[in-house]
Amino acid sequence: MNGFSVLLQKEFREAWRSWKFLWIPLVFALLGMTDPLTNYYMMDILSAVGNVPEGFEMLMPELGPADLLQASIGQFQTIGLLVLMASFVGTISKERANGMATLMYVRPISFRAYFMSKFVVMSTVGFISIVAGYSASVYYIAVLYGTFEGATLIASIGTYFVWLLFVFAVTLMMSATFTSVVATAGAFVIIFVGQIMVAFVGVFWTVTPWKLPTYGVQLIRGTMEMSDYWWSLAVTLVITIVCMNIGVLTMKKNVAMTKI
Amino acid sequence: MTTILQVTGLTKRFAEKTVVDAISFTLEEYTSTALIGPNGAGKTTTLSMLTGLLKPTIGNVELSGVDLRANIGFLPQYPQFHPWLSALEFTEMAARLNGVPSKKAKVDAQKTLEFVGLENALNKKIATFSGGMKQRLGISQAIVHKPKLLLLDEPVSALDPVGRREVLDLLKGLQQETTILYSTHILNDAEEMTDQLLFLRDGKLVEQGTLREVRQRFDEPRYVVEFSTEEEARLFASHSELFGKAQGCYVFVDIQEEEPTMQQLLQQLSACPYNVRKVARQTASLEEIFMKVAKRV
Repeated sequence: MNGFSVLLQKEFREAWRSWKFLWIPLVFALLGMTDPLTNYYMMDILSAVGNVPEGFEMLMPELGPADLLQASIGQFQTIGLLVLMASFVGTISKERANGMATLMYVRPISFRAYFMSKFVVMSTVGFISIVAGYSASVYYIAVLYGTFEGATLIASIGTYFVWLLFVFAVTLMMSATFTSVVATAGAFVIIFVGQIMVAFVGVFWTVTPWKLPTYGVQLIRGTMEMSDYWWSLAVTLVITIVCMNIGVLTMKKNVAMTKI
Repeated sequence: MTTILQVTGLTKRFAEKTVVDAISFTLEEYTSTALIGPNGAGKTTTLSMLTGLLKPTIGNVELSGVDLRANIGFLPQYPQFHPWLSALEFTEMAARLNGVPSKKAKVDAQKTLEFVGLENALNKKIATFSGGMKQRLGISQAIVHKPKLLLLDEPVSALDPVGRREVLDLLKGLQQETTILYSTHILNDAEEMTDQLLFLRDGKLVEQGTLREVRQRFDEPRYVVEFSTEEEARLFASHSELFGKAQGCYVFVDIQEEEPTMQQLLQQLSACPYNVRKVARQTASLEEIFMKVAKRV
């Protein structure tokens, strides 16, 4: 892994100086607080802004802490992932297209090191983001609804982070393999179409990376079928490693795509 | 002199099109070689293959027994830098990626940036750099690890005359330390710092040799005589026995096998009643040779 620490430093500097370590976690924090707050104050919001007729009655569902956390994760799964993927999907392909990669690739660097430095930085941004998102969500849930058990909460965050590693590996693999436009389309299709598929046939398709976010919540609810969980986790890690290796190979193979 | 780079039968084909066609040449240590040729001749493709960024379809590049990628410095025609790094950070990174230990990398980066004249911009973000500063930074990242071979793609083409002068002087300063191969189509520059010329046309190496050798092959020496009026030039051309061609106030007299000699010309001139302003022997400029080679069928 020739030059890994140097490359890592470069990637960190880029992410740091483009404020990625700040604004992406902020987005997650905002997403995290939205659901507990809006659900709790739904009646007040409706009566303040809506033209609710006199005597109108509405039955609000009784939501528990786990339901609200699930709602927050739903937000991370759409807008959150969109933000994370969109800010990193060009990290390899764009460097090639604008010629910045030239001055890197002519040196005796290892492509594994270069790919991994990008993966590590993306994962760090992702980790800080979900910690911020979970913290915001859990804080307001705890204040307004009720608390969680510490251990299962951490297990839930950990599970979601493994899912994120899978998302990042797919994103970077796409970036290494294709041009920015194709990579963006490809990564979004894999991640979001997978989610839709799981929503439709998830009952039968239990061992899959796309189920992990749901399983994270089920861990908290205590309704998790543990063998499905472990298998999904293992499958996800294997696919993640495979994607990373494919990414390293295609990154090396696509050196000729670099604009000189 | 020792040979440092050996290129044999280098060929690059993209689908049906052969961009570089079986070129072979060698570079001697501590020499400067200019790769010249019209646009689209394959200069950049050749350099890309030498850097290893592009795989040759056939052919071989060998750098005197050492690993190529670790021992070259490369400056692309339009170098692109990561804009959020400073000049010092970028140069230091370049050195470290080429295996210079981290403490030495910092010192070397600083020295190199001073050498290229960026000592006042060490910690400025590259995003704020002008074109000339970027070119200097480009040179510094290419030389900071003291490569055995320096490859430069059109190093001065994009610069204004002042910047060009400065960068050329920089490169001349490097001639004692490393072997340089650069492409250019600004021939005055090539004339100024070249031990060897490689002339590429349609992907083929059509002419090769030292500046003097190429000159001799293509030179059509002639005298040029300047008169004070066009009338006088025309009259001299038509009356003298030297078969000169009049063009404006000038008369051009071709020299074939050292005939006529300067003495003969001067005798003719002194015998005629016209006002002569200037007499000189001209050799073809590289530009004229370039045009000849480029158009030769």
